[in-house]
Amino acid sequence: MSGEATIVLEDVSRWYGNVVAVNGMSFSVSPGITGLLGPNGAGKSTVLHMLAGFLKPSAGQVTVLGEPAWENPSLYRRLGLVPERESVYGSLTGYEFVRLNARLQGLTDPEEAARAAIRTVDLEDSADRPTGGYSKGMKQRIKVAAALVHDPAVLLLDEPFNGADPRQRLHMIELFRRLADEGRTIIFSSHILEEVERLAERVLVVVGGRLAASGDFREIRRLMTDRPHTFRLRTSDDRRLAAALVAHESVVGVELDGDRLTVRTSQLGAFALAIPTIARACNVTLRELRPTDESLEDVFSYLVSR
Amino acid sequence: MTGIIAALTLRQLLGRGRTVLMGLLALLPILLAVVYRIGSEDTDQQRWVAQVLFDGLVVTILLPLLALVYGTAALGAEIEDGTAVYLLAKPVSRTQIIFGKLLAAWVLTSVTVLASGLVAGAIGLQGVPGHGLLVGFGIALVAGSLVYSALFVMLSVITSRALIAGLVYVFIWEGLINGLFAGTRLLSVRHYTLSVADIFVDLPRSVFEAKLGPVAAVGLMIAVGGASVWYATRRLQRFEIGETT
Repeated sequence: MSGEATIVLEDVSRWYGNVVAVNGMSFSVSPGITGLLGPNGAGKSTVLHMLAGFLKPSAGQVTVLGEPAWENPSLYRRLGLVPERESVYGSLTGYEFVRLNARLQGLTDPEEAARAAIRTVDLEDSADRPTGGYSKGMKQRIKVAAALVHDPAVLLLDEPFNGADPRQRLHMIELFRRLADEGRTIIFSSHILEEVERLAERVLVVVGGRLAASGDFREIRRLMTDRPHTFRLRTSDDRRLAAALVAHESVVGVELDGDRLTVRTSQLGAFALAIPTIARACNVTLRELRPTDESLEDVFSYLVSR
Repeated sequence: MTGIIAALTLRQLLGRGRTVLMGLLALLPILLAVVYRIGSEDTDQQRWVAQVLFDGLVVTILLPLLALVYGTAALGAEIEDGTAVYLLAKPVSRTQIIFGKLLAAWVLTSVTVLASGLVAGAIGLQGVPGHGLLVGFGIALVAGSLVYSALFVMLSVITSRALIAGLVYVFIWEGLINGLFAGTRLLSVRHYTLSVADIFVDLPRSVFEAKLGPVAAVGLMIAVGGASVWYATRRLQRFEIGETT
């Protein structure tokens, strides 16, 4: 990631009545690909909608390319948006839909711009079919073409991979990387860790309306991996295995409650390698080894507490 | 830009089942006129056309219903299904968007109501002079379509229940309250429309007489139509699309 910040949020909050959707969030984004990661309902869409000028911040400032995002339609000349909802004008063909977007952008040659954008998303074969008959993945791609038709400097994508098959995902990932290499700022939201891992150079983790973590994805991934993990075990002899595990360096806690053995580890990798060896050495049969805190919400909650 | 938006809106509005429904509704006055000419013993055709056909059916029911359906759907349907994002995320002034939507709703409403009203009126008046009835109501329907459309486009920006709010206005305010309290007619598009028609109709007062003076009616039409467009634009400038919409 390089260059000056193209997107800046300064102490931004947004609430709906008594519900706080975004709470005192500040960050800046430079050209490149930034992933907005968080569980459903975390506030990602609210942030994207404020960046797109569709929601007024209840407090704070949102600026895109040095201009306020709210009540500033001229900003859309340099900003492209792919909304999460899959609705498109169903009676228009793919080509007509993209050309309409080009015309509304006031482009001098909307026909050629539309054809070029459709080529970019590899949808030429279906361009003359009504978008109402498109699959989810095709709708996603035609929306991307519509957002790209005016060659924007900033691209906002709300859950862009929804409905796309693996081949389409790969194609879109390559496309977004190419666009970012050309100097664009791309922000996309996702609740799927692997998607963000594959695409984003930088990540903003949003949990409960707050910015839980931000920075290089590898660093955040390391934090996620090295956090304490809890496992529930079922074995042929819980008491004997518990005694053996207590002595191991990767284990920070063992709890034996009736027929339930719970183990906490601070080094996931070392624990995963050690557990079969320890069990074999004690002559204990492992029947079940189940993580208890692997949901994305748990991972994010850990990051918030850091 | 207004033309592009209006063309898109016309295509969206015409491509749906509502157009068939509105077409059937527009056939009602024509059928009624045919039945009247065939079966009725009423020989005062001018009175029937002015009072029953135009005042009782076309201006009071058909015109507001057409404008309500097209006016609230022109922008409201896009807001509801999420496609409004593609329009709003463009460097297009909100005034142009409102004008585009209004133009589409106005064209559809006025063409449909004019075709229905004039054909039905011509059938009802067959064999007798019209004394400006068709010209007067033709002009009034076009003007009334514009004001109703502006009002209902505005409603669709203000509330997601624009159709219900519009029905309340047409049937409770104009249909009921205007009949009980004369002063409320000052805020009735129906009465403006009848008054505009009255400017061109050359018939005795006993046959047709509007309740509002022509100057007041035209002035109020301009005021209500203009205020609706202004307020709709203002609301659209600050229109929010978020997780609650």
